Amino acid sequence: MVTESDTESIQVEIVPSRFLMPVTAQKLLNEIYGNGGIIRIMIHGPNLPRSVPYGPGRGAPIEENRGLLIEVAGQAFELCVKVGRIRLELESDKYFDGLKAACERALPFTFQIRRGKFFHTKPTITDYAKYGKMGDARILGLIDPKAKNDRLAILSEERVTITDEER
Amino acid sequence: MAYKPQFYPGTTTVGINRRKHMSGNLEKLRDIPEADVVAIMGHRAPGADYSSTHPPLKEMGEPDCPIRQIVAPTAGAAAGDRVRYSQWTDSMYFAPSTPYWRSYWGAINCKGCDPGTLSGRQIIEARERDIEIYTKQQYDSEMTDVALCSMRGCTVHGHSLRLEENGMQFDMLSRTEMGKDGNVYATKDQVGIPLDRKINLGKPMTEAEAKKRTTIFRADGLPMCGKAGARKYDEAVEALHHMWELRSKWGFRPE
Repeated sequence: MVTESDTESIQVEIVPSRFLMPVTAQKLLNEIYGNGGIIRIMIHGPNLPRSVPYGPGRGAPIEENRGLLIEVAGQAFELCVKVGRIRLELESDKYFDGLKAACERALPFTFQIRRGKFFHTKPTITDYAKYGKMGDARILGLIDPKAKNDRLAILSEERVTITDEER
Repeated sequence: MAYKPQFYPGTTTVGINRRKHMSGNLEKLRDIPEADVVAIMGHRAPGADYSSTHPPLKEMGEPDCPIRQIVAPTAGAAAGDRVRYSQWTDSMYFAPSTPYWRSYWGAINCKGCDPGTLSGRQIIEARERDIEIYTKQQYDSEMTDVALCSMRGCTVHGHSLRLEENGMQFDMLSRTEMGKDGNVYATKDQVGIPLDRKINLGKPMTEAEAKKRTTIFRADGLPMCGKAGARKYDEAVEALHHMWELRSKWGFRPE
């Protein structure tokens, strides 16, 4: 019989029932950070372009999507997406209840939180083509294959690789 | 007895609302000035001349045709206006209208228009001065909730996404915004070009009102079968089954 180790890392997905405004996203991320135990975290949602991407108004600036700065754990970065989903890996199971409580404190509406497997473990062809051999396996699953190299954020207690910017 | 179209079966509120949309017997909820509607459409500046593709019909000397004698041209067609469009995106979170029902409304009630139905958006094309009238009718009536529906000529996605925190439908281009006074303001035209002023579209519907006016059957709202646990399905489902049967067995020929 195999007994699972209670120190094994767990992966969690948080899906709020609404898209978050930057203020709420900042509050939630800080609460999550305060809970501790984060190995890696990814924020996900629809893109917020800086200018109209196509159509007759192509190139017109979208001021509302510019300068959406948030500060998490003393580190400021610019949001490029409307936060709609957060995936993270925790060091162990013991941080899960605290994470749920953190979401309840930060979010004024309902949300779903679930455990599962959300980050892939082997590099995809795209990963290999864009980044070559990856030294740190924690980057896997944090990279948007369609995004440019600089559009990546890794917020962790230990700062890990690649450019420390938004996704 | 004079024939009275039934439009849509069923006794559910959604069925009733669908009948209202199709028949054009809609409640007027707001009055957005015509100049503002024209500005949001973005095809011409309010007050500017209409561009035309041909001379007015009276000057063209039309051929002797019985159909042309029976059917009076619309104002836009008579003047030779260009064909323009307005396109709507309705949130699946209980927006009052859906692409199909906007198209039914257009095809049944709007003369000389060409409705196009897509999964997440709906476009109506018509001569410019006609489409301006039709668009204003859509804006002013209960077909539209200013938070859950918006006019989007491009970058239309948002209908199947979660709402924003303030109850607005997500819009990548931020064409509308919720003001501090609780009113929704249009800040850009339908293709995302900033307007020279903010246009007040009024207050959005409450969630309860949107559910009351919606034409969307949803398991977490009102299911198509009618009230859960009822002994009999709503007529809408029976009619649908009937059509499905006729169509499957013999080809659809409603007689």
